[in-house]
Amino acid sequence: MPLSVQGLRKSFSGRTVLQGVDFSVAAGELVAFLGANGSGKSTTLRCVMGITEPDAGSISIDGAALDSLQGRELQQMRQRMAMIFQKIHLVPRRTALDNVCAGALARIPTVRSLSPLLFPADVQQEALDCLDRVGLADRAFDRVGRLSGGQQQRVAVARALCQRADVVLADEPVSALDPHAAEQVMALLRELAHSEGLAVAAVLHQPDLALRYADRSIGLLQGSMTFDLPSTAVTAEHLDTLYAPDRNIAA
Amino acid sequence: MTPQTLTPAVARRNSTAKNRVALVRPKKPLRWITTAAVSAAVVGLHAVAIEGTDFKPELLVDGWKGMAAFIGDAFPPDLSWEKTLKPGLEATLVTLWIGLLGTTLSVPFALLLAALAAENTSPHRLVYQGARAVLSFFRAVPDIVFALIFVTAVGLGPFAGVLALICHNTGVMGKLWAESMEEIDAGPQEALRTAGANRIQQVANATLPMVVPQFVGLLLYRFDVNVRSSLVLGLVGAGGIGLLINQSIKSFQFDSMLTHILIVLVLIIVVDQFSAWIRRRLAA
Ligand SMILES: Nc1ncnc2c1ncn2[C@@H]1O[C@H](COP(=O)(O)OP(=O)(O)O)[C@@H](O)[C@H]1O
Ligand SMILES: [Mg+2]
Repeated sequence: MPLSVQGLRKSFSGRTVLQGVDFSVAAGELVAFLGANGSGKSTTLRCVMGITEPDAGSISIDGAALDSLQGRELQQMRQRMAMIFQKIHLVPRRTALDNVCAGALARIPTVRSLSPLLFPADVQQEALDCLDRVGLADRAFDRVGRLSGGQQQRVAVARALCQRADVVLADEPVSALDPHAAEQVMALLRELAHSEGLAVAAVLHQPDLALRYADRSIGLLQGSMTFDLPSTAVTAEHLDTLYAPDRNIAA
Repeated sequence: MTPQTLTPAVARRNSTAKNRVALVRPKKPLRWITTAAVSAAVVGLHAVAIEGTDFKPELLVDGWKGMAAFIGDAFPPDLSWEKTLKPGLEATLVTLWIGLLGTTLSVPFALLLAALAAENTSPHRLVYQGARAVLSFFRAVPDIVFALIFVTAVGLGPFAGVLALICHNTGVMGKLWAESMEEIDAGPQEALRTAGANRIQQVANATLPMVVPQFVGLLLYRFDVNVRSSLVLGLVGAGGIGLLINQSIKSFQFDSMLTHILIVLVLIIVVDQFSAWIRRRLAA
C-alpha cells in the first residue's frame, strides 16, 4: 500500500478533532473524504503530510512507518507525498513552467534554485513533460496569474507530478472552481490514479463528485470514520447521517 | 426562552408591534470632562512649544524688509550659462547620481536584512531580533549624521553622500520590505515546504516573487526620497546642487541661488513623475 494510516488522533487545546482515523490508499486508486464542516478532513490530510503534528497514530508509505525514519530518510519518504490545496498556492507572477519546476526543488542544489534561470535543463524538461500530462504544455510560458482557476489547479497537479510523488493528497481541490473546471480537474485526478498508478486522496465538498469520480469514499463525522466503502455502495442514508451537523446549523 | 437578540428580522417585527424597542442612547456622563481635559492638554502643549521655539510672529513682521531685499536680490534669476546654469545642471546630475546609487547599492543589504527580519522568512528568532535591531539602528541615525561621519573618512564630496544614503536607506527600505513580506499570502511558501524545499529555496521561489510589485513600488518611493535627501546632504559638503546652493548663499549671490532652486524644482518634478509612471505601469 503506498499510503496506510492507523489510529490517527489529534486534539487542539483539549478539543478532540480526530479520534482514531484508519485508512489506506492503494496505487491506482482515487479515494474521497466526505464530511460536514469541521469534521476533521483537512486535519487528517495535514497530519499525514506532516504540516500538523498528530498526537498519535502511525503513517506508513510503502510499508515503511514514518516514525521509524529520521532526518534525510524521513524527508525523502515525505517527498513521495504531494499536497494540492483549495487555494492552489502557485506564484501568480511566475510562468506555469517555473511553478512546476518548483516541485523539484528538493532535487535541485540550493545555488541553482535561486532563480528560475538557473534551474537545470533536465528539470525544466521534466516540468514540461508534467505540464503535458495535465494537458497544458502549450501554456508553459504563460504567467500562472493569466490562467483560469481550473488551469491553475492543473498546473498545481503538474507541480505534484514534478515532485515525483506517488501519493497525492488534495484538500478540496475543486471547491473554488466553476462546475466545468471542477469536472476537468476531477477527471484528471482519476486519470492519474487509474493510468499512472498514483494513490490519490481528495477531500471533496460535493458528495456527487465523490460518487462519480472516486473509487472509494470515506465518511468522517466529528473526527471518526462512519464508513469506508466503494463509492457505488454509498447510500443516501450514509450521506444523511454524515451531513447532519451542517443541517443543524442551517436550521 | 433565551433573550432575543436584535437580528434584522426581529427588529422588523418589533417596529410593527406595540412594544417597540425604545431608543435610549447609553449615557456617558464623563464624556465632556474627557473632551475638556484633552483640549486643555493640547492647548497647554502648544503654549510650551511656542515658548520653546521662540515662536514670535512680530519678528517676522518687523523683518519683512530684510526678506523683501533678499528676494529682490534673487530676482531675476541669474541665467548666465558659464557662471550659473552649466555648473548648476552638472551639480544637479551629481545630486541625481547620489540619490540613484544610494538607493540601488543599498538593495542587496536591505534585501538580506529584510529576509532575516521578516517573521515568515527568518531562520531563527535570535536572527530575527538581531536583524530588526540592525535595521532600527540604520533607520534611527539620520542620513545627514552618516554624511558628516563619512566626510571625515573619505573627505568632502559626493562619495560621502552615497555612503550616507546607502546606510540610512538600508535601514528604511529593509524595514518596509520586511513588513511587506510579512503581509504576503503564506500559502505558496507552505506548498514548497511540503514539497521538500529548504528555507532559502522557499524564500527565493515563493516569498520573494510574490512581493516583487510591492518591493519595486517601495524602491521607487525611496529613490524619490533619496534624491531629495541628497540635496540636503550637499548642504553639509556631500557634493551636488545642495553644495552650490549653500555656496551661493554664503557669497550673497542670491540670483544664482534662485536659478539653482528652480533647477532643483524641475528635477524633483521629473523624478516624481517618473516613479509615478513606473508604479502605474506596475499596478496595471
Ligand atoms: N490549528 C488549529 N487550531 C485549533 N483548532 C483547529 C486547528 N485546525 C483545525 N482546528 C479545528 O479542528 C476541527 C476540524 O477542522 P478541519 O480539519 O479543518 O475540518 P474540515 O476540513 O473537515 O472542515 C475544526 O473544529 C477546527 O476548528
Ligand atoms: Mg477543510
